Amino acid sequence: MNDPHENSVPYGCDRRGFLQSASLLSAGVVLSESLVQAQQAAPQLELSNIGPDLIPRKPFGNTKEKVSVIGLGGYSLGDAPSHQEAIAIVHEAIDAGVNFFDNAWEYHDGKSEEWMGDALKGRRDKVFLMTKVCTHGRDKTVGLRQLEESLRRLQTDHLDLWQIHECVYDNDPERHFAKGGVIEALDEAKKSGKVQYVGFTGHKHPAIHLQMLSYNYPFDSVQMPLNAFDASYRSFQMQVLPEVNKRGMAALGMKSLGGNGQPIIKGVVTVDEALRYAMSLAVATTISGIDSLAVLRQNLAIARGFKPMTAEEMESLYKRCAPDAGDGHLELYKSTMKYDGDLGRDQHGLPPHKDLPL
Amino acid sequence: MSDPDDRTDSIPQRPLGRTGIKVSALGLGGHHLGDLKTVEAAIRLVHEAIDAGITFYDNCWEYWNGRAEDWLGRALKGRRDQIVLMTKVCTHGRGADLAMKMLDESLRRLQTDHLDLWQIHGVCFDNEPELAYAKGGVLEALDRAKQQGKTRFVGFTGHKDPSIHLDMIRRGYPFDTVQMPLNCLDATFRSFETLVLPELTKRGIAALAMKSMGGTATAVKKGLVKAEEMLRYSMSLPVATTIAGMDSLAVLRQNLRVARGFTPMSDAEMQALRDRCAKVAGDGRHEVYKLSLAFDNPQARLSHGLPLDVKQKEVQEMLFKEAGGP
Repeated sequence: MNDPHENSVPYGCDRRGFLQSASLLSAGVVLSESLVQAQQAAPQLELSNIGPDLIPRKPFGNTKEKVSVIGLGGYSLGDAPSHQEAIAIVHEAIDAGVNFFDNAWEYHDGKSEEWMGDALKGRRDKVFLMTKVCTHGRDKTVGLRQLEESLRRLQTDHLDLWQIHECVYDNDPERHFAKGGVIEALDEAKKSGKVQYVGFTGHKHPAIHLQMLSYNYPFDSVQMPLNAFDASYRSFQMQVLPEVNKRGMAALGMKSLGGNGQPIIKGVVTVDEALRYAMSLAVATTISGIDSLAVLRQNLAIARGFKPMTAEEMESLYKRCAPDAGDGHLELYKSTMKYDGDLGRDQHGLPPHKDLPL
Repeated sequence: MSDPDDRTDSIPQRPLGRTGIKVSALGLGGHHLGDLKTVEAAIRLVHEAIDAGITFYDNCWEYWNGRAEDWLGRALKGRRDQIVLMTKVCTHGRGADLAMKMLDESLRRLQTDHLDLWQIHGVCFDNEPELAYAKGGVLEALDRAKQQGKTRFVGFTGHKDPSIHLDMIRRGYPFDTVQMPLNCLDATFRSFETLVLPELTKRGIAALAMKSMGGTATAVKKGLVKAEEMLRYSMSLPVATTIAGMDSLAVLRQNLRVARGFTPMSDAEMQALRDRCAKVAGDGRHEVYKLSLAFDNPQARLSHGLPLDVKQKEVQEMLFKEAGGP
């Protein structure tokens, strides 16, 4: 009786319809015509804060918030060589006009949130702060406990955005929406004023994202991998992005360089092309992993005075990547288990990363 | 053996799709054969399996860098005609010319001039159907091999995603067989049973089951199901044979106990087993081959530019042992 997974789904969902869409979605073939059409049909998100030295901003979904076209990723911040450099990265990013800050309760066992909290001291009001809750199927009390820890580490009394982290297993949506699940924690957190907006994230499969959306819960944002390779392989751009925009939610892009920069190392694309492609999609922001001042400055140079690519430029880049991208080896977060965190694996009865690296 | 009704104690023979031949409902997996300690042990296992009535023999060009084929070839000396012999070609997206070289190597190692069945191994990447059907792709090798009399029938295998299997089938090549994971866990997670098996039945293509234990048998180890239940479930599906890995005489004899005089589970029994698994199987935890690269061999990874896992046994073999040697 106490198993939340056995309870009925309060928001109603057509499981069979989902399975059918899941099988259709897996077909990796995308016609470039439809890519251009999709890009042309996408809402034109108005850029503000325009100028040669400025980082433009875009609306955060249907809200009045405006967020910078590039966001600072919290995981890589915890990879910075020192606490001091992490703080310098955050300060320089804010001074340059970056206002979207990403994090997650589980990144580096809390170090990412702690370092960001230290860096935001006296600057909290200048940023749109997001972190993520990591229940991975456990109940809302786990989620609310993590919220308190996140707030304490981030040294603030509220988040602008709180997202369900890493929806990557086929039964995650069912678990999240079960009675007593993490969705109820989102509701309570909003009610208490500790959180203004809510959303979810995941890097695995468009079908899982669509399943999350199928419950018709009023998410404010949806985070997903979006880059020049995605359109050729289990594509979030083709399958999820239009749905998110149709619902007036903010789309948040991540993994613009394919997760680990392999496409750059292999010479498939340049950093400039990859980041510009991602930022040109109908997204509020592109969250970028930045673990040093050098990488920050490289990405700021691309974001300053940013003008979106044309649909034709995007098509030509997509076509260039397509021969390499169709088997998923440039997107290991979709094609392997490399990016599935140990905490989530543990909740799903799977071996840890050290025993099952890929 | 004076009992006139002792045929009820034999392993059932089933039609291999529309090929006109029959195969035993239990098949011997080639990968585990190469896992045995010595060639003598492998030969003993194969001989006992043949004597018990197992007629379907699985293998693959890339298993243990050729050792699995080499050992099976030695075991089949003088017995080739008693069995249905299958091996697989490991192009993993590469073309027909390479496939034909692999075929000749397989025939040499298996010490025969023809296969009964030659299958494309491990179709596990979304773009492999497209590559197989492209000009110069591996399907042209299947045609050539049939024309040259080097194989009688052809098919493909894969353990990753039903949508990839459906893509291979629906593009229209006349495969005789299709091999896939079929077990009581699969029914609730990216299900080959639900999505692919009916399509094969409709087209008269023989279904070959594998991974009846879920690959690493974690569901058995955790006490969710019994090994015997899992094997019986798989064999009760509309499949020509269930290929089982057997790396000891003990496992062979255990499986023979299930296969001899096999009677399929009832629909109700199968449903009950699926229901029991459904509560935990929905995230794929007991079918890691669908989630992870762990079951994708080094040849597949190399041809797709994916990282190797140096701890994988196959990679150790590649790096440190002579190909083909016992």
